[in-house]
Amino acid sequence: MAEPALLCEGLDYRYPEAPRLALDGIDLEIAPGEFVVLAGRSGSGKSTLLRAACGLVPHFHGGEIAGEMRVGGRSTRDTGPAELASAVGFVAQEPETQVVSTTVGAELELPMELRGAGAVETARAVEEAALALGIEALLERTTDSLSGGELQRVALGAALVTGPPLLLLDEPTSQLDPVAGDELIALLRRLNEEWGVAVLLGEHRLERCLAAADRVVALEAGSKVFDGRAHDFGSYARRSAPALATPVTRLFELAGIDSSPVSVKRAREELGGLGLLDDASSGTHIASGAAPARREGAALRARNLQVELETAEVVRPVLRGVDVEVAAGERVALMGPNGAGKSTLLRTAAGVLPASFGSIEVPGGCALLSQRPDDYLVRESVGDELPGAAGSAALAAVGLDVSSDADPRDLSGGERQRLALAIAMAGRGAGGAAPGLVCLDEPTRGLDRARKDELAAWIEELAEAGSAVVVATHDVEFAARFASRVVLLARGRVIADADPREALGGGWYFATETARITGGRAVTPEQGAALLGAERQGAEW
Amino acid sequence: MRLTAPLAYAPRRGPLGAARPWIAAAFLMPLAVVAFTFANPIVLLAAGAAALIAGAGSGAGASVRGPLRWSIGLGVMVIAVNAIASQRGATILWRGWDLPVLGQIDVSLEALVEGAVLALRIIVALLVFSVWSACVDPDRILRAIRPIAARSALTATLIARLVPLAAADAARLEEAGRLRGPAAAPVGKAAIARRLVAGALDRSVDVAATLELRGYGLGVRSRMPRHRRVAGEITLLLCGLLSLALVIAAAAAGVGGFDAYPTVAADTDAATFALAGAIVALSWLPFAVESLRLRRRPRVAVGEAVRVG
Repeated sequence: MAEPALLCEGLDYRYPEAPRLALDGIDLEIAPGEFVVLAGRSGSGKSTLLRAACGLVPHFHGGEIAGEMRVGGRSTRDTGPAELASAVGFVAQEPETQVVSTTVGAELELPMELRGAGAVETARAVEEAALALGIEALLERTTDSLSGGELQRVALGAALVTGPPLLLLDEPTSQLDPVAGDELIALLRRLNEEWGVAVLLGEHRLERCLAAADRVVALEAGSKVFDGRAHDFGSYARRSAPALATPVTRLFELAGIDSSPVSVKRAREELGGLGLLDDASSGTHIASGAAPARREGAALRARNLQVELETAEVVRPVLRGVDVEVAAGERVALMGPNGAGKSTLLRTAAGVLPASFGSIEVPGGCALLSQRPDDYLVRESVGDELPGAAGSAALAAVGLDVSSDADPRDLSGGERQRLALAIAMAGRGAGGAAPGLVCLDEPTRGLDRARKDELAAWIEELAEAGSAVVVATHDVEFAARFASRVVLLARGRVIADADPREALGGGWYFATETARITGGRAVTPEQGAALLGAERQGAEW
Repeated sequence: MRLTAPLAYAPRRGPLGAARPWIAAAFLMPLAVVAFTFANPIVLLAAGAAALIAGAGSGAGASVRGPLRWSIGLGVMVIAVNAIASQRGATILWRGWDLPVLGQIDVSLEALVEGAVLALRIIVALLVFSVWSACVDPDRILRAIRPIAARSALTATLIARLVPLAAADAARLEEAGRLRGPAAAPVGKAAIARRLVAGALDRSVDVAATLELRGYGLGVRSRMPRHRRVAGEITLLLCGLLSLALVIAAAAAGVGGFDAYPTVAADTDAATFALAGAIVALSWLPFAVESLRLRRRPRVAVGEAVRVG
């Protein structure tokens, strides 16, 4: 019998000086060539387990470890990460810290060189890894000229170039647009099917990867709570972990159908078997949630907006004539592929970047929360960050009720995000009110579904209070959940501006899972369930 | 809007960008040697011009302009400090105050000129370094160092990666500071620096983990071959060696002499100008030869059939 790619027996691990175990009695076996998805809420131990499997825990992070973990037959206690790297490749969440060379070619050559590989062997391995990942055109480029998605592929290439039989990935799609995210999962599936690489993939957006998985392992507070086939995971999530339920699972649950398919195709087949959605392209359409009343006055008005950025001695037009107007109280999802100009539009609205041509106006002021909320937290207490009555008003505006003596670093991730937004908003609105425009840049990175629901709720509160809220996001499910309007950017231009059902219902990549199942007639599980209910009633009549 | 990167390397056209690091070093070293051994402004200006020619010839003009601008600023400061600190020189331009402990503070022409020469030396040295960092691939340098000094290469790799990361973090923190609402506590440079240092520790741990995973701790000797010779390297090497020999010979023969005190005396004879001219010509020659080679290269028009054999 072949040696398991990964074997865990009673694995306990505690980070140095941590009060509780990060991994608690994990038993896990991954067979060669298996594709396993690791599910769990934020802080459940997914990243720690992945780091233990590549030897960084305990060799690099220290701490106390008990039990046994073997990778390709080698104990991770006795073997360090460098030695294990021939048996396991690891791709972490942050692509910027995963490249160490100046050019892409050198980055892929480095692991081979450090293992004493010869020139021919190295050249072939680099070429094959680059071709497999579609990055052969990047080999001559410098790593600081790459986008987040390209960097992530390069990091994956560096992990794969030595041909490890096991690949570990920690939320590799969190910074990717839907196109790049779907392509990465398809690529992992191809590596798994054609090359027999075992994959252990930690991910929050389960709807993206469950269909590719042979098996799902779920963690909660460091313990394994589910280990089974992908199509059994939906039933488990419905029963015991609603926060991990995918949109299709929620759709079927809300529609009262006792099944949890893992793929869009299977969901369509099951609904077809029940005589529902036979002709997905016609019939009843469910409207998006009630659109907020557009109030008088624009919170954002851009006319032929053009912005250029200069990088590596090249001036690059990023926005090429954007016309967009957002009214007070609107909730807008700003979507588009990596490099489309979403962040640039928000930064120009906030006054950080100047317009090269055209105009942009934000009459009621603009608060921007950038991609890393922790960058706003530089003082020792909440009170020091937001002093006085205006500070208290800003905290109240984001619904944050914490002591002014609290250390920002002790707050939860969601609270830190709100505090950062309060800092950005403080004093920008008239009479302590929120500013006319609130912009959030990729606020769902690394958030589990429960925290995304919280975020959507306070976006609604802000909009009800009169602010226009514009959110740049890659997360189509989140956009469908909160937005009253979707603006799609590509290559610096607005290519679509519509209500969510129209914008997220018809496309291939920028479509929710529910939209794919219902042929674009509904975009959220709730709408999908209502659609199925209406079809059933129609059938009964 | 310009986004600046602290390390300016990018793959560039021209012989300097394609050359092996040691050949690039041999070509640029004579200019650095001039900055450290000569005080004559004519020779120093020639070395500065030579560095600029090398930068422009390699397509790194914009990368060299930034360091040039702030090294001129630094130079102005050096001149001002030297004018006050050096109380020597026969030609008093301004008779200053009589201070208690320091005594009479005068500004002399000679002190100003000495400061200007110091500034020129700094500018030339920084220009040479900026051309080197813009044109020579750090990966090649590290690959060359790794078999000789693995730990030093590891440290250099870590730093080479942390510098751009820290610069990106600093830019982000600064932007977040600008995005704070008017009623939020303002963020000073000290607070940003504190956050940056704290963040740098996390960053260095992450980068070090990546290096570990790439196999840095294995201690296996590389079997990668040395880089092959590329077109233009020989000219680059010959010009560099010739320039170095000239500079050493000129220094030994006392060509390009300069004294700031008691009164300014600088050689302006034919030998000094010949040395300056040779430095400039030898820095220009490899790029001229390369340009000629490219012009003589046979060209194939699109759609034109090429007969082989």
